[in-house]
Amino acid sequence: MQTVRIFGLLVTILSLLSSCTEVRAWERGYLAKDEMAWESDSLESALNDHIFFSKEASSGGNSAAGGGCGCN
Amino acid sequence: MKILHSRSLIALSTTALALPGIATADAPPTQSTLSYKISNYKEDKLSRSEVPFGDLDRYDIDVHQFQLVSPISRNMSVEINANYESLSGASPWFTSTGLNGEPIVNLSGASGIRDRRSEINIGSTYYLENGSFSANLGYSEEDDYRATYFGVNGEQHFNNDLTSVSLGFSYSADDIFPTDAKIFNRVNKEDKRSTSAFMSISQVINQFSSFQSAISLTRQSGFLSDPYKLIDVRPESKRQISWSNSYRRFFKNANAAWHINYRYYHDDFGISSHTVDMSWHQNIGRSIKVIPIVRYYSQSAANFFTNVDDFLKPVTQYQSSDYRLSAFGAISGGLNFVADLGQWTATLSTERYIANEKYSAYNVSKVSTALVSYNRISLGIEYSF
Repeated sequence: MQTVRIFGLLVTILSLLSSCTEVRAWERGYLAKDEMAWESDSLESALNDHIFFSKEASSGGNSAAGGGCGCN
Repeated sequence: MKILHSRSLIALSTTALALPGIATADAPPTQSTLSYKISNYKEDKLSRSEVPFGDLDRYDIDVHQFQLVSPISRNMSVEINANYESLSGASPWFTSTGLNGEPIVNLSGASGIRDRRSEINIGSTYYLENGSFSANLGYSEEDDYRATYFGVNGEQHFNNDLTSVSLGFSYSADDIFPTDAKIFNRVNKEDKRSTSAFMSISQVINQFSSFQSAISLTRQSGFLSDPYKLIDVRPESKRQISWSNSYRRFFKNANAAWHINYRYYHDDFGISSHTVDMSWHQNIGRSIKVIPIVRYYSQSAANFFTNVDDFLKPVTQYQSSDYRLSAFGAISGGLNFVADLGQWTATLSTERYIANEKYSAYNVSKVSTALVSYNRISLGIEYSF
């Protein structure tokens, strides 16, 4: 049921996104900046994910899980 | 004129797609990057009221991370990650009731734990006309734990590269072989398997903002208990779901980017959680960035969490006093500095994290002992060639 609810929300969001503005290739300069990346420092993100995975019960995000460790 | 316009358009498109901020680049990086980061992570001491006997020190960990990303052909790149951690300190062993009737925690021996972890991960990405395909293989080893894992990921761009869909799958086979198993009557050797799949959709909203939503599903099976606790009995399988959302917006006048991420998580141990984090990436001149970060996290307790171990309970019944299975909230904040010095980039990151049951957004019926607070400082350097 939880999965169905989340999937429904995702579909709603996608419907809303379909009304997004057309952005031409030459208008993507700001989107192309380093600081606009989903993950602007991959080592920092990996370290944070590893610490939070060790100290909290939750895990999972924008990628599939990696290997486990004795920390959790 | 029309031809010239088209050529300019192609040139601009290619430039934009080759730039790092766009998540939908269809070409390998134009140069190689070698990165190294050293970090120290130190947990606060516990209080004497929580630990009536023994050492109060907890984990102190040094982490070394290495990364090489390099193009190896016109449409292929390779990424190698290597990590090394060394840790020392004590960890919760069992919980009981103090003289005043409040739960207390007993830490593992006064000399604590010493361990090392080494990990290597090699991956490669093949770039297609409108997407990419990547795969990675990793191995991690500790004195008492070994994990071998792999992952595959595919990404496809649609709608004039404004929309991207990613699908991924990963599998990890882990072996657990606790130290001093015979002396402390611990399990000798156990294993754990984790299978994970995810799907994400990214959308450019306008020339200043973009949005990403992702779902990941994970199933773990095997030995999921903590072998170092005096008593810890958990189910032998767990299903997890997480739903993550990210928004990025660039503010032209401030010359800064705003990041906000939200994640909802639920598993069949009965734990749900909410995570929100925000960061402001402020450019100062052409080469300096200052990035303040705040994060809030709250989780509910596992169905079988207890704050006082029950040694009379049959071993077939689930129970765990692991503070990570309790209801709590955590607030953290940090400040990162990035200096871009041409081919070299230097980063300094600092973070303070405080977990407390008072910060919980969920009902806390059993307050856990030994919730963690820590400081972290990292220094990184990157060289592009």
